[in-house]
Amino acid sequence: MNKHTFFEVVQLNKSFGGLKAVNQLHFDVKEKEIFSIIGPNGAGKSTVFNCINGLYQPEEGQIKFKGEELIGKRPDQIAQAGIARTFQNLELFAHMTTLDNILLGRHKSMKASILATVGLSFKRSKAAKEELEHRRKVEEIIDFLELEAARDQFVSNLPYGKQKLVELGRALALEPDLLLLDEPAAGLTQEEREDMIFWIKDIRDLLGITVILIEHNMQMVQNISDRILAINFGTQITIGTPEEVLNHPEVIKAYLGEDLPSTL
Amino acid sequence: MLGQLIVSSLVVGSIYALMALAMSITYKASEVPNFSQGEMAMMSTYVTFVLLSSFGLSFYPAMLLTVGFAFLLGLILEFFFLRRAKNPTPLNLIVITIGFQLMLYGLAGWKWGSEQRQINLPFSESKVIVQNDVFALTELNLATLVIAFIVLLVIYLLIQKTKLGLAMKACQQNVNASKMNGISAYRIMAISFGISSIVGAIAGVLVAPLLTLDPSMMWDPLLKGFAAAVLGGMKSLHGVVIGGLLLGLIENLFGFYISIEFKSVVAFAIIVLVLYFKPSGLFDKHYVRKV
Amino acid sequence: MRNLKTTYFEDLQLFKDGVHLFWSAVLILALFTLPFFVKTYYLTILNLMAVNVIVALGLNLLVGNTGQISLGHAGFVAIGAYTTVLLLKLGVPFIFAFVAAGVVSALFGILLGIPSLKLEGPYLAIATLAFGLAVTTLIGRMDFLGGRMGMNVPKLQIKWMGLKYDHALYYIILSITIIAVIAMRNILRSRIGRAFQAIRDSDIAAAAIGIHLTRYKLYSFGLSALFAGAAGSLWALYLGFINPTLFSFILSINFLVIIVLGGLGSITGSILGAVVLTYLNLQLENVVDIPLLGAALYKFSEVFMTTTGIANVSWVLTGFILILVVLYEPLGLYGLWLRTKIFWKRWPF
Ligand SMILES: Nc1ncnc2c1ncn2[C@@H]1O[C@H](COP(=O)(O)OP(=O)(O)OP(=O)(O)O)[C@@H](O)[C@H]1O
Ligand SMILES: [Mg+2]
Repeated sequence: MNKHTFFEVVQLNKSFGGLKAVNQLHFDVKEKEIFSIIGPNGAGKSTVFNCINGLYQPEEGQIKFKGEELIGKRPDQIAQAGIARTFQNLELFAHMTTLDNILLGRHKSMKASILATVGLSFKRSKAAKEELEHRRKVEEIIDFLELEAARDQFVSNLPYGKQKLVELGRALALEPDLLLLDEPAAGLTQEEREDMIFWIKDIRDLLGITVILIEHNMQMVQNISDRILAINFGTQITIGTPEEVLNHPEVIKAYLGEDLPSTL
Repeated sequence: MLGQLIVSSLVVGSIYALMALAMSITYKASEVPNFSQGEMAMMSTYVTFVLLSSFGLSFYPAMLLTVGFAFLLGLILEFFFLRRAKNPTPLNLIVITIGFQLMLYGLAGWKWGSEQRQINLPFSESKVIVQNDVFALTELNLATLVIAFIVLLVIYLLIQKTKLGLAMKACQQNVNASKMNGISAYRIMAISFGISSIVGAIAGVLVAPLLTLDPSMMWDPLLKGFAAAVLGGMKSLHGVVIGGLLLGLIENLFGFYISIEFKSVVAFAIIVLVLYFKPSGLFDKHYVRKV
Repeated sequence: MRNLKTTYFEDLQLFKDGVHLFWSAVLILALFTLPFFVKTYYLTILNLMAVNVIVALGLNLLVGNTGQISLGHAGFVAIGAYTTVLLLKLGVPFIFAFVAAGVVSALFGILLGIPSLKLEGPYLAIATLAFGLAVTTLIGRMDFLGGRMGMNVPKLQIKWMGLKYDHALYYIILSITIIAVIAMRNILRSRIGRAFQAIRDSDIAAAAIGIHLTRYKLYSFGLSALFAGAAGSLWALYLGFINPTLFSFILSINFLVIIVLGGLGSITGSILGAVVLTYLNLQLENVVDIPLLGAALYKFSEVFMTTTGIANVSWVLTGFILILVVLYEPLGLYGLWLRTKIFWKRWPF
C-alpha cells in the first residue's frame, strides 16, 4: 500500500459526440481523506464518477485504485474492488423495502448459489445462516443511520431525505474502501443537511472510509473537505485546501457565471 | 427469376413497411408497441368488406368510410384505454394493447368468424398488367406498390411539413414541455393512434385479397411488420420502411432458394442477430439512461 | 404496529405464524384427499391449473421480478414436453425425463438470454416471440419428434398401493407444484431473488453494488425456462398426446395474461392467476351453458352477432378483464386479495 497512491486519476478524457465532458483531468486522493469536486452545472463532475465506477468508458487516461487499473472493468467488478457510490438523482430499488435495499448492498459479500437458496426457509441451511449473518450487519447500518422507522417500508413511499439516507446505507453495506457521493445533500432541508455532514464525517472517522464528494453547497464543502478540486468545462481550475480553492478568482468567476450557489 | 423475386419482395415488403410504419408512429408518440395494430387493421378490413358487399358501395367511397372508421378505432384505444392508466409501466401499456387485441379478435369472430369470406377489390389479383423480360406484375401488385408509396409519402409530408407533424415531434420529445407550450399532448397522442390505425387499415385492405378474410388474417402481417420495425429501429420512420422492404427481400430470397417452410424463422433469426449487434435496430440510436 | 421480532429468522420461515401454518396445512390436506371425493374430470382441471401455476411462477420471475418480457414461453413448455416424451419413449424413467426436461429447457433459456441481454421493451418482445415461433416450426419439421402430426405420450408404469393412474398422476403433479412454489418463494427471498428485483428497478444501481448483470439476467432466463420446461413435462403426461400447434403464440399470450391477472412479481398472484384464468377459460368455452347470462348472450348473438361465433365471447371477456386489471388493480388478483385481508382485519370498524 505504500508504493502507490491510494487512488489516482491520470489525464482522463471523456467526450460525448463533440462535447468534451472531461478534459485531461488529473488528481489523486489519499487514504481516509474527504476529497470534494466542485464546479458549475454541466462541468463534468458526475461524468468523472461514472468513469470511475465503470458506467462510462473514457477515451484516454488511467484510473488507479490501490495500484490497480479500473478502466475497462465492469461496474460490478469495480464494486468488488471496494468502491461504492450514490447517485445524484437517486437510483434506488423503488419497489423494494429499505431493508431489502440495504441488504442488496451485502449482495457481493454473500455466496449462496441458486441451488443453496432453495433451502432458505430451513433454519439449518447454509443460505439461511448466511442470510441472518448479513441481516445483522444491515441492522447495524439501519441503527447507524437511524432508519428503524423506515425499515419495512417501500422506499418509494419515503420522504426524499430518507431516500437519500437509504442510498447511503446501501453504499455503506458494501463495506467499501472508497465511497463516491454525488450531491448527497441536494434537496435536503437545512436540518437534514447538517445530519448528513455529521454522518459523512463519521463514515470517515469511525469507519475509516475514504470519501470523494460532489457538492454544490459551499458551506458544506468548506466545512467537511480536506482538499477540493474545482473544475469547469471538464478541466481543472485549481486543486488544494478549502481556503485556497474557494478564494481562487477563477473559481469565483466560474460560479458567478450562473446562479450563485448558496453562501459563497 | 431474380428480378421477379425482387419485385415480389417489394410488394410484400411494402405491406410490411405499412404495418411497420403504423407501429412506429404510435411507438414514437407513446413508447407502446401496439399489439392490437393487426386486429385494428382486420376490423377495418371487415368494415370495407361489409360496405362493399352488403351495402353495395363502390370501392373509393367505401375506402373513405373505412379510413374514418380506422381513425375512430385508434382514438378509442387511446382515449378509453391507454389514457386511463395511472403511472403505467411500459409493460402495463403493452398489456392494455394485448387486451384490446383480444377484444377485437373476439368481436370479429363473434360477428363474422363463422364463414370464410373473400373481399373483392377493383384490382384483380390474377390479371397481369406489367410484363417484361425481368418481371411481371398483377393489377393488385401494382396497386399495392402505388398505394403504399402514396401512403408513405403522405405520412412523410405530414410529419415533416405540417404543424401537426411538428406538434407530434414536440410531444414525443417531452410530454410535459409540450403541455406547457399549449399543445395538448393527449390530443396529439390520440391523433397519432388514429393516423397509425389508418395506415394499418390500408395495409389490411391491400393484403386481404391474398388471404381469406378471417379474424386472424393480420397476425402474420403484424408480426412481420413489428419485426420489420424492430429491424429498422422502432423510432426511425425511414428505418422501419427500409426494415419492411428488407424483411420482404430476406424472406422471399430465402424462401425461394433454400426453404419456403423456414422463411419466417430465418427472417426472425436474422433480426435477432441484427439486434445482438445493434440493440435498437439498424437506424435508431441506442439510448443509455444518464445518471 | 410491527411485532417485535425475536429472531430475524422469522422473516425467512415458510409460515409466519400458527394461523398461517394451520390454514396452509388444511389446504394441502384438502388437495391431497380430493381424489376420494370428486370425479376424475375435476382432477384433470386441477392438473391443468397446477401446470399453469408452474409456468406462471417461472414467467413471473422473468417478467414480474426481473422486469424482462417474454412472448415465447410456450416454446419452453414445448421443449420440456418433447424432451420428456422423447426420453420416455427411449425407456428412461420418468423422474430422469422430468429433470432432463427442466435442464434442457433451462439451457435453451440461457441460449435465448444471450442475444437478449441488451434488448428492452419491443426489441426483447420480438426476440422472444421469434424464439417461440422457431421452436414450434422446427419441431413440426422433425420426424423423430412426430412432425406436425405429433406423438402419443407413453403411459407411466405406476404401481403405488393400487392407486388409479389418474389419481397417481394428480399426486405427482400436485407434489411437484407444491415443491415448485416453495422453491420459488425461497429463491425470491434470497440474495438471488433480490438481485433480480434490483435489476428490474435500476440496472445501473444493481451493477454499481456488484451484481453481474449478464450473469443474473441469464440466471433469470434459465430459471424461468426451467419452470416452464418442468411444467411442459407434466403437461405432456396428462394430455397423453402432443403436437406443435398446442404451443402456439396464443399459449404464450395466455401465460402472460395469467401473471398480469394474478399480479406481477407475486407468487400468490401466479397461483391465483393460473387457477382463476384456467377456470374462466373452461367456463367460457361453453358460455351458453352458464345460467341466465348464457341465454341472454344467445339472444344478443341472434340479433346482433352470430350464434355460431358465440364461443368468441371468451376472447372479448378475457381482453376486457385484462384491461380492467391494468387500469384499476395493477397488482391484479393479489392486490384484491391484499385489500380483502385488510378489510376483514379492520371489520367491523
Ligand atoms: N450519457 C451522456 N450522453 C451525452 N452527454 C452527456 C452524458 N452524460 C453527461 N453528458 C454531458 O456531459 C456534460 C457533463 O455532465 P455531468 O453530468 O458530468 O455534469 P455535472 O458536473 O455533474 O453537472 P450537475 O452539477 O448539473 O450535476 C454535460 O454537458 C452533459 O450534458
Ligand atoms: Mg452531476
